[in-house]
Amino acid sequence: MSDAAPTPHEPPILNVQGLSVLAKDRKILDNVTLDFPGHSLTAVVGPSGCGKTTFVRTLNRMVELTPGLRVTGKVNYAGQNIYAREVNPVMVRRRIGMVFQRPTVFPMSIFENAAFGLRLVHESEDVIDRAVTESLVRAGLWDEVKTDLDRSALSLSGGQQQRLCIARALAVNPKVLLLDEPTSALDPAATQRVEQTMERLKQEIVLVLVTHNVSQAARVSDRVAFLHTGHLIEVGATADILERPKNPLTEQFITGRFG
Amino acid sequence: MNVTGTVAPEGRSLLYDRSARTRWRLGFDRWIGRLLPLLFLVAILPILSLVYYISAKAVPTLSWTVLTSTSPYRTDALGVPIIGTFEVMTVATLLAVLFGLFGGIATAEFLSDRVAGWVRMSANLLVGTPSIILGYFGYFTFVLYFGWGLSFIAGVFTLSFFMTPYIFRTADLAFTSVPRHIREAALGSGAKPAQYILRIGTPIAFPQILTGIFLAMAIGVGETAPIVLTTTPGVLAPHSIYSPVTFLTQLIWENFAQAPSTGLQTLAFQAAFLLMVTVIILNVVVRLISNRFRKRLEGLYQ
Repeated sequence: MSDAAPTPHEPPILNVQGLSVLAKDRKILDNVTLDFPGHSLTAVVGPSGCGKTTFVRTLNRMVELTPGLRVTGKVNYAGQNIYAREVNPVMVRRRIGMVFQRPTVFPMSIFENAAFGLRLVHESEDVIDRAVTESLVRAGLWDEVKTDLDRSALSLSGGQQQRLCIARALAVNPKVLLLDEPTSALDPAATQRVEQTMERLKQEIVLVLVTHNVSQAARVSDRVAFLHTGHLIEVGATADILERPKNPLTEQFITGRFG
Repeated sequence: MNVTGTVAPEGRSLLYDRSARTRWRLGFDRWIGRLLPLLFLVAILPILSLVYYISAKAVPTLSWTVLTSTSPYRTDALGVPIIGTFEVMTVATLLAVLFGLFGGIATAEFLSDRVAGWVRMSANLLVGTPSIILGYFGYFTFVLYFGWGLSFIAGVFTLSFFMTPYIFRTADLAFTSVPRHIREAALGSGAKPAQYILRIGTPIAFPQILTGIFLAMAIGVGETAPIVLTTTPGVLAPHSIYSPVTFLTQLIWENFAQAPSTGLQTLAFQAAFLLMVTVIILNVVVRLISNRFRKRLEGLYQ
């Protein structure tokens, strides 16, 4: 656990202003405003159904793949509102990577999985070779797969597949990586490997981790944001939120009274 | 398996049930078990006898000359209808793949749920339409309205309309059944919809689509009504798109009962035999393909 508070002078690469998500009959997210400072891992926690997955999916416009939802408010990436009319969601998703609850490897070789994002933008073979190696190293998978990069990615274990998904997202060199409960389908050993990877990565880029697991947030995050029924209840340094929560709802959640 | 023998003797077990009802049920079960293989035989007997009857009538007179001769002066030559069938099937399949594949992908990936629902219903309706009605549609549309006459091209278009919904349905189903998380991951990596379709969707959907294509071919090659209403048999292989063309099923339709000579009737049996073999081969190919690709995609649908 890191107590390092974010440096206040560094402008956040990603920030959210007055973000609401409306379904047909209810508000999934209600007026959320939140900064994501550089070189930090922010854990978004909350009970199931609180809107945390929807929240993280608004950060790279993945939310638009679910029909029937309307997004209002701003998500600024490097000073630009990604919901502005002239912004192409494809370009947003190329800058802001995402890792999902279940490993989502594609039915192709390990190498091609990691190279997927680069092939989309027609990078040269040299660049791809280097980027694939680098991203597999950064994702902590290189030593396990370096001798058989041509093997089908489907032959890897669940934890390896999830780290391959992280490598795939890293290969395009994003400044922000979104992780939506990345360890919820993994066993404890694999979870630990993924958490080590996250701890290393947060030195380099902004990580946003959605988790229902308070102890995971305690282990890896710098900041915790607590969501409840679509409202951002409280956000702050991990130690502050987990040890001295200001809001009784937060306290009830972290002490396991609901979840 | 002798079920009653495995039950413990009286008093040994609480599970022992010696009521008359239970004994009757076990006995009934045993008899049904013996009856089922028999019923299966009854079910496949028509198919076996069909295969035997057609083979017996066709094979003794079938020779390489019969299969390859394209002489217009012989009545025991299948060369012209074989070439005609091959050409019609090739072009009709290409057209049906074009319509069906693009329609299926558009329905699965781009249309709203409501519109897609209507399109799917139309395709199902088309599958359920009797082929003779589709033949009339082809006759009025291509032969008369477009003025193509009874021709190769009119037959090709009518047959491709008949085959399209089969390919459409499998393509639509194949793309909609790509696991949602895989689709989201591809789009989440910044793939444009077209890139997702080409790089991720198609490789996953491919075996199903190929199965649909071969299935449509197996059904199309055996169709008679769309062809006899839109083409006219020719003594030569087609040399232009407006030429007459002979389809194998046409040979059966025209020769089987009405033909004055046993020679022509034999020809009908030979055509039937060829069709049967073609359909069997297509079905076997479908099996082989889907088995081969299922191995490659193992682990994807966990």
